[in-house]
Amino acid sequence: MIDSGSVKQMAGHPFDRRDFLKVLGWSGAAVALSGCGNTSVEDGRETVVSYVEANDYMVPGVGVYFNSTCAQCDAGCSINGRVREGRVLKLEGNPDSAINKGRLCGLGQAGVQHHYNPDRVREPLLRNGNKGEAISWEKAYALIAEKLAGVSGEEIAFLSGGVSGHLKVLLGNYLDSLGTKNHFVYEAIAPSVVRAANLKAFGVEMPRYRFDKAQVVLSFGADFLGSWVSPVHFSQQYAQFRKGVNGQRGVLIQVESKMTLTGANADRWLAVKPGTEGVLALGIINALGMATGEVAELVKGYDKARVSRETGVSTGQIDKIAALLKLRSPSLVLAGNAAEGYAHGSQNAAAINLLNQVLGNVGKTIEAPVSVPFPQMVPSKGNTVALKNMNDGLAAGKYKVVFNFAANPVFTAPGAFKFKDNFAKAGFKVAFAHYLDETALQADLVLPLDSALEDWGTQVPEYMTEGAQINIQQPLMERLHANTRGMGDILLGLIKQKKADEYKGFEDYYAYLRGAVLQNKGALGGGGVEDDTFWNDTLTQGIVKLAGTTTSLAAHASAAGLVLPAAAEADEHFPLHLIPGVTASLRDGRHTNQPWLQESPDPLTTIVWDSWVEIHPKKAAELGIVEGDIVQVTSKTGSVKAQVYLFPGIHPEAISIPVGRGHDAMGRYAKGYGVNPFQIMDAVFEAATGELAMHETRVKISKTGQRVLVVKDEGSAGALQMGRKIAGRVSTDQVDLSKEV
Amino acid sequence: MKDIREDIAWAKINQDVMKSLENPRKLYWVILFLALAAFGFGVGCEIYQYRTGMGVENVNNPQVWGLYIATFIFWIGMSHSGTLLSAILHLMHADWRKPIYRFAEAMTTFSLMTAGLFVMVHIGRLWQFYYSLPYPNDRGIWPNFQSPLLWDAMAIFTYLSSSVLFLFVGMIPDLAIARDNMQPGWRQKLYTLLALGWEGTDRQWRNFRVTYLTIACFLIPLAVSVHSIVASDFAMSQQPGWHVTSFPPYFVAGALYSGCAAIITLFIILRYVFRFETYMTLPILKKIVRLTFAIAMVWTYLNAVEFAAVWYSHDEASKAVLIQKMTGTYAPFWWGMIFCGSVVPLVFAFKRFQTNIPVLFAVSLLLNLGMWLERWMIVAPTFSHGYYPWTWDHEQWPSLVAWGMVFASFGWFTLLFMIFCKVFPSVSMYEVKEMVYHRTLHLKKSENAEQGAH
Amino acid sequence: MSVSNLLENWAQVRHEHPNNDKPHDPYKWAMAIDLDACTGCNACSIACYAENNIPVVGKERFQHGQQMHWMRVERYWDEDGREFPDQGFQFLPMMCQQCEAAPCETVCPVAATNHTADGLNSQIYNRCIGSRYCSANCPFKVRYFNWYDYPTDEMVWPAEMQQQMNPDVSVRSKGVMEKCTFCVQRLSAAKVKAKGEGRIVAEGEVQTACQQACPTSAISFGNLVNPDSRVHKQWAAQQVELDKDKQAKNEEEEASELRGYRILEELRAYPSVMYLERVRESAV
Repeated sequence: MIDSGSVKQMAGHPFDRRDFLKVLGWSGAAVALSGCGNTSVEDGRETVVSYVEANDYMVPGVGVYFNSTCAQCDAGCSINGRVREGRVLKLEGNPDSAINKGRLCGLGQAGVQHHYNPDRVREPLLRNGNKGEAISWEKAYALIAEKLAGVSGEEIAFLSGGVSGHLKVLLGNYLDSLGTKNHFVYEAIAPSVVRAANLKAFGVEMPRYRFDKAQVVLSFGADFLGSWVSPVHFSQQYAQFRKGVNGQRGVLIQVESKMTLTGANADRWLAVKPGTEGVLALGIINALGMATGEVAELVKGYDKARVSRETGVSTGQIDKIAALLKLRSPSLVLAGNAAEGYAHGSQNAAAINLLNQVLGNVGKTIEAPVSVPFPQMVPSKGNTVALKNMNDGLAAGKYKVVFNFAANPVFTAPGAFKFKDNFAKAGFKVAFAHYLDETALQADLVLPLDSALEDWGTQVPEYMTEGAQINIQQPLMERLHANTRGMGDILLGLIKQKKADEYKGFEDYYAYLRGAVLQNKGALGGGGVEDDTFWNDTLTQGIVKLAGTTTSLAAHASAAGLVLPAAAEADEHFPLHLIPGVTASLRDGRHTNQPWLQESPDPLTTIVWDSWVEIHPKKAAELGIVEGDIVQVTSKTGSVKAQVYLFPGIHPEAISIPVGRGHDAMGRYAKGYGVNPFQIMDAVFEAATGELAMHETRVKISKTGQRVLVVKDEGSAGALQMGRKIAGRVSTDQVDLSKEV
Repeated sequence: MKDIREDIAWAKINQDVMKSLENPRKLYWVILFLALAAFGFGVGCEIYQYRTGMGVENVNNPQVWGLYIATFIFWIGMSHSGTLLSAILHLMHADWRKPIYRFAEAMTTFSLMTAGLFVMVHIGRLWQFYYSLPYPNDRGIWPNFQSPLLWDAMAIFTYLSSSVLFLFVGMIPDLAIARDNMQPGWRQKLYTLLALGWEGTDRQWRNFRVTYLTIACFLIPLAVSVHSIVASDFAMSQQPGWHVTSFPPYFVAGALYSGCAAIITLFIILRYVFRFETYMTLPILKKIVRLTFAIAMVWTYLNAVEFAAVWYSHDEASKAVLIQKMTGTYAPFWWGMIFCGSVVPLVFAFKRFQTNIPVLFAVSLLLNLGMWLERWMIVAPTFSHGYYPWTWDHEQWPSLVAWGMVFASFGWFTLLFMIFCKVFPSVSMYEVKEMVYHRTLHLKKSENAEQGAH
Repeated sequence: MSVSNLLENWAQVRHEHPNNDKPHDPYKWAMAIDLDACTGCNACSIACYAENNIPVVGKERFQHGQQMHWMRVERYWDEDGREFPDQGFQFLPMMCQQCEAAPCETVCPVAATNHTADGLNSQIYNRCIGSRYCSANCPFKVRYFNWYDYPTDEMVWPAEMQQQMNPDVSVRSKGVMEKCTFCVQRLSAAKVKAKGEGRIVAEGEVQTACQQACPTSAISFGNLVNPDSRVHKQWAAQQVELDKDKQAKNEEEEASELRGYRILEELRAYPSVMYLERVRESAV
């Protein structure tokens, strides 16, 4: 029931959006409450707002759609929120966005549960012993000013997740006003090593990948259908790739030690020994026989027999892949989490990029990216080096005031960092938070944020398609809780403490944003249009599309400096590799308190509401472990206990525990479900970039003697169809996809 | 050996039976109390379930039917022997039925009432139960006459009302006796009312005989159809393991089987509690035992037929269910059923056990356990091993509430039954008199003949 | 109220499906799901929760098998005992197949589940007494029973979360059966709108929530009797016919390149959902 008419109807008709929302939201709230069994209206505590004199676009019972931007991850999908009687009900994808083209993943759908979450922080909270005491915003601001007084910039640290757009600008300005350069941009799960390797090989951090043009995709652990970079966009391209050109269906080969969602969709899934992705890439270059010069020299030693021995992939398979890559061109080779997660991650990624270059994919399926012409709005990308640096500073007791925004380092920092202890050494800790997560619980002052569906903002995605775009985030309804504030508003409030004069023209972040957009009207494609009209159009569309600037793409991946280490020695104390599983819906755990995501079965294991230890059935038989056994997983850093799930999609030398669960805070839907593998992660770093090597932790497992029923969706038949034709399949040589509708 | 002593005076018969209405052994009160406690527990469970939701039965989405349906079939089955056997034996002039048919019919009535409770307990919205009745309404909304469940409701209701009628009509002369022998009080008033002015005139006797015979004739096909229809709940569905043509006779055989087993159990209890040793004699017991044995063998045969039918049908899904029954999660129950239902009755083949009361008591309980397991094995495995493998064997085990309700149903049944036996004559006085009378005549005849020969 | 009235009513409510005497006109809603495009990402399932007020039952109830996902994504791998699932998984979104001759419909004692004129298998929550016979007779086991009173459960729907509920969709109380409706609330709204404008619902005018969310467009949905609809074209191209229990694919040698099939078709439930087989690469 997309009633796009309603949205269009409003375009071009100037109206005060804020007032509109106030009216709509307020009256809606009255209706909403009475509709939900809350009898305050009947009690006379609230005034019923009559619809008799409502605005034209307000029709009770008819949904109105507003465009905004999904904030569940930073892919930057545009959303189309259905609003009825002042309440946002459902999020759909915005069909006008080149990124998601009207589609939305499960994580994005659950955005409404972030907004309506019953465990949101509702008042500014000041630590009083072990409790948080509600205080007023004035007091909170005054307190921050007081704590900042006399503190030098060196003694201030600001930790945040990835930020972009005007918020980034404002945050930068605020940090400048404090005189600090200590902005640590931290993302627990980010393709940082791959970015660095790409920069080296192609001259850009994140080129545009064209799955739709590729005939073969060879992915070394890049979960592009699940959680990698821009999964909704990639999924759409993947669908085209599968349909193929002239009925020639694309072939997906996935190389990784632990199956991801993408691996599950591969035509050939290859379980390599953990860390040998680069070796296989070089082995394939060797088998291709297309390389010349120093590359040929480099791969000479990587003959099939050696590669097969080191990676565990059969020589026949290497031949087949090489033959296929030769036969079908162009192809696309990707390096993902699994390849970059080792101490030699850069080398792995470089080898994989080299394969791309040898295959001649650069320029064909790997294209130059576009960026917005406003460098100050380009996203600052989070990484784990930032966390390490900040942790070192905290450990040294350098910081007197620490801010934390959009990150939960107490939960996601590897156990070896002892981040929680170090964080406690900071003088005064301010957390901007939606929920009392683990980090907010350690803070001295917690400032409650508006939800992403209540707040204003702009966002620039890192990965853009078909030209550049700036995404608009706007409130889909009035604030659910009276005392929360938008991050922009808070920053504006704080910056006014320092530079009142410069910012006095902006009553709130909305005014700032509007001013900033209108100031650049010409560059944003609104030259000659009335201010109000342009602003309203912008809000209506939810996206500003720009020509963008294209960075040129180089193809200078080289063999120079590419040295892959010998296969790691088996560690007799900790014989298994621990692979942190990154799932599409839980990511780094910031959304674990959204019940739809908790109850949505993991696509591969179908487990819900809990963590598990994935182990290959062969290995399990060796260790005498069966499904549901509680095992203790011990690393050098620590240990966790979790249930076992026997899963054939994992290398027998590795086990995997998904990240995202195991919260001991964050409210009723997150707390106490599962275990947190970050806790047992060793501090091993990638040699070239200094990033945390997430796949380098070695563990051992031991039975505890307890056994539980694994809570999962599949039945006792597991993944078998028992001879019944449920999920059918057909061989490619039998079908002609070009004939299909 | 004669079924019953032939020298009992008519007056003594009256006296003995009437005594059971007033002065049972102490065990009676113990049983009554235990039954009441069990039933009370079940009422508690139901209140909890009604308020909380059906989830407390611990059934789940593929396995939507659980203990309640299994126990429902069990009670329906139990109801079969009483009235059906009574009617058949009446038509066949099998005199030995006379001292025992009354309690057997009561058993029918009360187990039907118990079964009915399980329908109530099972449905998700008990408060909307009346939707399943074809009551006249202006909206033209009717229940679904295609649904075997509706046939079921109708069949059971018809069977219940006919059984009550049969029980009541058969009791009229005895009620008159009770009326005439009772001290004034509420009981006498009750008997007066129920005796419908019975005076024992020729005309009354003639009408009585015709009526009784007619109801008996009506009841036989009805009883057979009731359990066939219960079988249709399953056989008419499309599910593997249920969609079997042999289900109706299988259900009827199973019903008769469990009914006979229950008659043996109750026979032994009543004989002791109400001091009916004179009337409920061992020769009669022996006859029931032999009948039970025959039915057990029929039931065993039909079990085999089910396997053969499925085997020859080449229906893979149905085969899988049967194999699953024998080897899967439910194997212990299935083999338990085979042991209790097909092996244990072999005890009956030995003459010395046919009148051994402790052995018979134990065996009859085992048979009923086997029959209960049979119903559980009809319901559960199909759910856990149906057409769709993805939904197989979600871990499921009935909750305490569900078991409590099953337990309580025995309490409820016992309660009703025991109260009945205390309030109404559970041995048919007038018919036992007929037996004695017939015997006496017979005796006299043969004596005369003997004398004549001399 | 009379018997004749009853019989008359009855003949209207209950007739054979699929039935040429009563063709679906102008609507027959149907679906086609391309398993080669489905990646198993679960977006459809979560979109369904969001659209249809489906309760999140929590860990303990999930353990008891009391989950309510109208749309569940199943995953299968080969049965040949290889060491790794090295040919990938197969994912399959499974929801109510809206059978034409639905086994659930005939067994309901109170006729709470019915066939609508536009070919849906409807569930009337108000009429349901919770005998659960429909689910017992469903070959796909896609019906979900309200084992508890979820709307009053603080863990399932706290007051804040209740504000997210879709007002177009009934909230189900304990003791009633529910299942995928093909987003009937969206269909009704589209039909009403089209009727007001004197036309029928056009292709693309209405989408189900799962279809709308699906990042790979694996799900197509529409009016099967409309020759312009994608669903119609897909069914036609795959030579899958609604009222047959064996399709060309199974019967004709030359039709082996077709991918369309319906699950458990041999049971003659005549499902309204056609699946397209997953394609397996023969080159690697």
